[in-house]
Amino acid sequence: MTTLTTTPDGSAARRSAPPASPAPAARRPRQGGTVLAVPALVWYLVFMVGPLLAIFVIAALHWPGMLQPVSFAGLDNVRVVLDDPVFWDAVRNTAVQLAVAVPVMIVCAFMLGYYVAQRPPGHRVIRYLLFIPGLISTPAKAMVFYAALSPDGLLNGGLESVGLGSLADAWLASPSTALACLIALDVWAGIGFTAVLFAARLGSVPDELGEAAQLDGAGHWRTMWSVHFPVIRDYVGVVTMLQFLWTLFGSAQHVLLLTQGGPGTSSTTLSFLVYQKAFIAADLGYSQTVGVLLFLVGLVGLLTIRRVFRQNY
Amino acid sequence: MKLGKRWLPAHILVWTYAVLLVVPLYYFLASAFKSNDEIFAHPFAPPSSLGLGNFRTAFESADLGLAVVNSALVTLLSLALTLLLAIPASFALARSTGRLAGVVEKVFSLGFLIPTFAALFPTFLLAAATGLFHTRIFMVLFLPATALPLSVVILVQFMRTIPPEMEEAARLDGASTFAVLRHVYTPMCLPGIATVLLLNFLTFWNEYLYSLVIIGPDPAQRTVQVALPTLKSITGTDYGVLTAGTVLTLVPVWLVYTLLQKRMQQALVSGAVKM
Repeated sequence: MTTLTTTPDGSAARRSAPPASPAPAARRPRQGGTVLAVPALVWYLVFMVGPLLAIFVIAALHWPGMLQPVSFAGLDNVRVVLDDPVFWDAVRNTAVQLAVAVPVMIVCAFMLGYYVAQRPPGHRVIRYLLFIPGLISTPAKAMVFYAALSPDGLLNGGLESVGLGSLADAWLASPSTALACLIALDVWAGIGFTAVLFAARLGSVPDELGEAAQLDGAGHWRTMWSVHFPVIRDYVGVVTMLQFLWTLFGSAQHVLLLTQGGPGTSSTTLSFLVYQKAFIAADLGYSQTVGVLLFLVGLVGLLTIRRVFRQNY
Repeated sequence: MKLGKRWLPAHILVWTYAVLLVVPLYYFLASAFKSNDEIFAHPFAPPSSLGLGNFRTAFESADLGLAVVNSALVTLLSLALTLLLAIPASFALARSTGRLAGVVEKVFSLGFLIPTFAALFPTFLLAAATGLFHTRIFMVLFLPATALPLSVVILVQFMRTIPPEMEEAARLDGASTFAVLRHVYTPMCLPGIATVLLLNFLTFWNEYLYSLVIIGPDPAQRTVQVALPTLKSITGTDYGVLTAGTVLTLVPVWLVYTLLQKRMQQALVSGAVKM
């Protein structure tokens, strides 16, 4: 039941509202007002879809700066990007970030969600606290981590006070720990809110399911993974997709606020590279080429996660 | 289900994480009232006095007062525009049975998956092309577009639950389409509107990267999220001021969260995975 069988239908079937049945249309005459959707649609096309399509155009341009002449470059940018060691550093960092942050986040959040859904003593307090990361802004989160991890910050102070001062480090400015700090931020902020989502969904799983499993002698560990997980598998997939996207694209802000991609390229991620090449290095074609690649990575990841978590009972 | 003794490790792990969530916030709140010396000497001791000196410094050195006003303006106007666009659109989509409406609805629900970050640079170009670069106006126009997919999807779901008989009755009394929207649909989906408002209040107030790139660093225009990180460089490592500033930006969100806790939690949970 829990094996990951992939179905031949790999299309991005989506849970959307079922197509409206023709019955009501026949029953009541058209009442007008459909035109009211036009402003929103126009807004959406101008500010969201248009810019998104523009990425693909700019990626094919040679454009060395805002006020510089633009010329068509075709696939030249792709060649430049693929030959650039910085790009491959960013690929490596993003891969590490995703491979560590997303699974840790989802697994911990699922267990935490299961815990909260059992209503142990104090679950209300826990639930209240778990929302915290979902409420505070990215700059505020970055300030928290800056205060905790800077050379004279909380962590070093704590280490010194327990006599481990020799372990103290400039965490954000050290090539070996900068990326780890960013991953820690993702995980710290991600677990809480994701757990709340899982807890809410697990709350609607009938109690009888778990009780039946317990009568058969299954412990909580078994119940959690072989009863509850398969039931909400589809939902876990959707949440994983979202966390994957947020981690992939959202890392630009964390990097910008905490490490600026450094030292060297040790914490440059793909999405930060898009930002840096556009707004700091002013190599616009390069930036948007990475943007296109990032977009494709997002799409492929999305479809893969979708397929892995397909409901299969 | 009973939780036996074997749950002890689970309890410990969960509460450790809870402490990790609370400690930074406590540290920030306490440090906001302390001097740097006090912070380094006793990081976790409660403040000895509740002087507002750090807040005053934060206000003055980064123009935080002005930034709060800017953030409030952008947030409120964007919320108003979001509703103005999303309510009629959802009304149209919820009532329509045509194929076109189905396509439009699908387009909106797909938009939920577009990470806004992806189009940062083209949006920046759009701002420059429309002459609205370095203005708050562009953000007020732009933010609702990012919020539309989710808002429309949530509102359509609410409006579908309104029985068609309500509209038929209003029609018999001679109500126009607009009157039906105004007097039947809008009042009946107020809970949905509240959800949309709360969710978007959070996203708009907390928005950082677009505000940074489009509004820019001009103290007269910038929002509080853009002003906050500048405290780091202005004050060097004056943690008292840094934490006071951070606490200030959290106050509006905290107020709303504490006042509307249940509703906010529902909104966040339903908003995250509506697709």
